[in-house]
Amino acid sequence: MELAGDFWSLLEKSGHPITHPVAASPARPNDSHIGPGVGAGAGVVDTHGTTVIAVKFNQGVLNVGDRRATANFAVMYDKAEKVLPIDDYTLLAISGSFARAMEVVRYLRTTFKFFERTYLQPMSLDGKLAELAKVVRAGIPEALQGIGGFIPIMTTFDRESNEGRIFFYDGMGARFESTEFGAAGSGSLQIRGVFDYIVKTKKPFHEMTREEALKEALYLLDIAADLDAATGGWAKVLPLAKTITAEGIEDVPEEELHAMVAEIDRSAGERIAPRPR
Amino acid sequence: MYTPFDFNEAIAQRKEYIEEHLREGSPVVGLTYDSGLLLLTVRRSQRKVYEIYDRQMFSAIGNQSDIETVRLSSIQIAHQEGFERSPDDVSVHRLVGFAISPALKKAFGDQFTVPFVIRALFAELGRTPGMDTFFTLNYDGEFREYSGAAAIAGTQAAEDRMLERIGEPSPTWTRQEAIQKALSAWSVGAREALRRQISGQREEEEELNPFRDIDEAEADAVFLRDELKTGTVEVGLLERRANRESRFRLLSPADLEPLIRDYR
Repeated sequence: MELAGDFWSLLEKSGHPITHPVAASPARPNDSHIGPGVGAGAGVVDTHGTTVIAVKFNQGVLNVGDRRATANFAVMYDKAEKVLPIDDYTLLAISGSFARAMEVVRYLRTTFKFFERTYLQPMSLDGKLAELAKVVRAGIPEALQGIGGFIPIMTTFDRESNEGRIFFYDGMGARFESTEFGAAGSGSLQIRGVFDYIVKTKKPFHEMTREEALKEALYLLDIAADLDAATGGWAKVLPLAKTITAEGIEDVPEEELHAMVAEIDRSAGERIAPRPR
Repeated sequence: MYTPFDFNEAIAQRKEYIEEHLREGSPVVGLTYDSGLLLLTVRRSQRKVYEIYDRQMFSAIGNQSDIETVRLSSIQIAHQEGFERSPDDVSVHRLVGFAISPALKKAFGDQFTVPFVIRALFAELGRTPGMDTFFTLNYDGEFREYSGAAAIAGTQAAEDRMLERIGEPSPTWTRQEAIQKALSAWSVGAREALRRQISGQREEEEELNPFRDIDEAEADAVFLRDELKTGTVEVGLLERRANRESRFRLLSPADLEPLIRDYR
């Protein structure tokens, strides 16, 4: 007898593509209307999310992301939401293939609810992390052919230990827990050392107030936009910031973000040296 | 040889067998109110009101194993449909009419299958109170749509009495008012089912009693007071404006206490 309550096996039976990723066709001449070389030679437009950042603060976790989604050298969309709620206390920050990531977000939302409604108890944190590993792993055949690869950061508020937690993944589905911060996407490598510098010279993120952590995260995003060609700055659209605390998920209000990026811009402006005469 | 008479008789026997099992089931009341809708019942042991999907919930009387089968199938179908299409496309009408009801009817009519012993009440939260719907589903696959109020109980007479007690449901009722109404309907339904068991005669006498309604209210209170010594009121809600992921929630004992204090 089969144990009911596994949404994955239900989708497997129906042959849904999330459980059977379509292997990309062999490379053929590019037919994209976007530009040359899109989708690593597969001839498929694969839109990518750029940089997402997660840091702890004294009441939970903060997620920040720019709003850009790119397809190779084209900006596909500049109002992309890359930090998405999975349930009342869990956020998924996504980078890499947008199509796959959105399917995964839908899958996780449905799976967590399916489990809770079936078994009348919420899925455990470990169970949720394993579900995410499973969908990352299922995308490997596609990712190997150059499309569909995506890297998530899962953040949650652990109500048992009363603290925010950050988990990041590699492309194979390996899961790592970070004590202070996590980043994924095209600009994440460029800012990797800055996180360490902040922790070593200022203070650990988990001791910061929400405002302090938000400011550091925005500085990090600003640096990523400076150093990575794909990451969007905030000249056109404000970044997206969400927190998870014991009270659940909350958006950082736009006015607050606006004031903080304006302050960062002002201080940056003051530091720019006058042009030599 | 199998004749039409045998078929009729076989069906009647199955019907009798199932009705006998359903008779003692604790009734369930569905009501809409100003900011959502509710399912109310009084239970003895395990939970009876369940979330099915984003805007759907369910409760049933009958065999617990059959209730679980229908509950799990409903959850599976709703989630698969919601994932492969959109959560907005999941509806109780489709769920009951195209999936659950045909399966129940097939099991009921098939002489070589054990029929489902179940009577279920599905509730769906609409975008506006006017769009809220209830579906009752019977063991033989028969289903009916209601708006505003619905009830399931051990007997048809009990269900009629319950709807009669609720009267014309109003979308302006507060949650508190709706719970009071539902509790009163529950007790009239539970008493009716019980009375039918004891005697058919007494009921006729009561119909002639001009003070019936006055006595009824008093009798209900006494009955409820007695029932709540061993039973627990259970209320499942679907809330139109919820800032949680889920619109469904069960009222906690603390939420319910002030509403049932009179019957303690």
